[in-house]
Amino acid sequence: MNAQSSGKRPWTAGPTEKVFEIYIKTTPERLWEAITDEELRRRYNFGIGAVTDWKPGSPYTLSGPDGGDMAAGENLEVDPPLRLVQSFTALWSDEVKSEGTSRVTWEIEPVGDSCRLTVTHDQLGEDAHGELYGGWPMILSGLKTLLETGEDLTTPGSLRYL
Amino acid sequence: MGDMDAVFKALADSTRRSLLDELFERDGQTLSELEQRLPMSRFGVMKHLRVLEEAGLVTTKRRGREKLHFLNPVPIRLVHDRWVSKYAKPWAQALSELKTQLEEDSDDERAEQR
Repeated sequence: MNAQSSGKRPWTAGPTEKVFEIYIKTTPERLWEAITDEELRRRYNFGIGAVTDWKPGSPYTLSGPDGGDMAAGENLEVDPPLRLVQSFTALWSDEVKSEGTSRVTWEIEPVGDSCRLTVTHDQLGEDAHGELYGGWPMILSGLKTLLETGEDLTTPGSLRYL
Repeated sequence: MGDMDAVFKALADSTRRSLLDELFERDGQTLSELEQRLPMSRFGVMKHLRVLEEAGLVTTKRRGREKLHFLNPVPIRLVHDRWVSKYAKPWAQALSELKTQLEEDSDDERAEQR
């Protein structure tokens, strides 16, 4: 009898880890800028950008153009243009607030004339709320469009929340 | 565009879709874990995982001796954005606006009730 029919799960319950990967035709420097520049980030990240001094140990917020913090955390590692690690606390509803703090790691690796960007969202709780990590594919798709065409992605789902 | 051909090809197989479903339910599984959950040989699972990896739908991480497999939904989103923008946008846009309108209305009602 296999695990499914017996209703047993062969895995051990534990924290949720999500990995998102995308290839973007750009340089690590331009990609780093698009992630860390407040205004550029707003163009593909539901209208919010990171507000921080980008020093390790400093706090940051993900905020709309007129304030309104949707998430906050701390810069854990800042290694331009290849690696950024931040703690992440979602603030957009009481439900997601109660999920506590997780971690987001951005890794940039040059591959030929492109970059492989890997976003790992981990230290999420068991059965973490889908809203916490569900937006990454839309964000990364918009980032790719912005860097490769200079244009904003306008498909539904990439629309701004702010 | 070659990337998209690989995605469509990878998705055009029910076994590979069930592998993605397994990872959707529990991300970060090893080959042995996936093998236990599918009525297939280890070689068969490996073969299908390779096609999914080449299409970018599965990404892997090494942790100690183990290789963990993760569902990467980004290529599906890219296909969606590519096709939605061309064919389905007026429809999806209308539905999205309707949703916003209905939510605003219900917010107003709630505010009035208070």
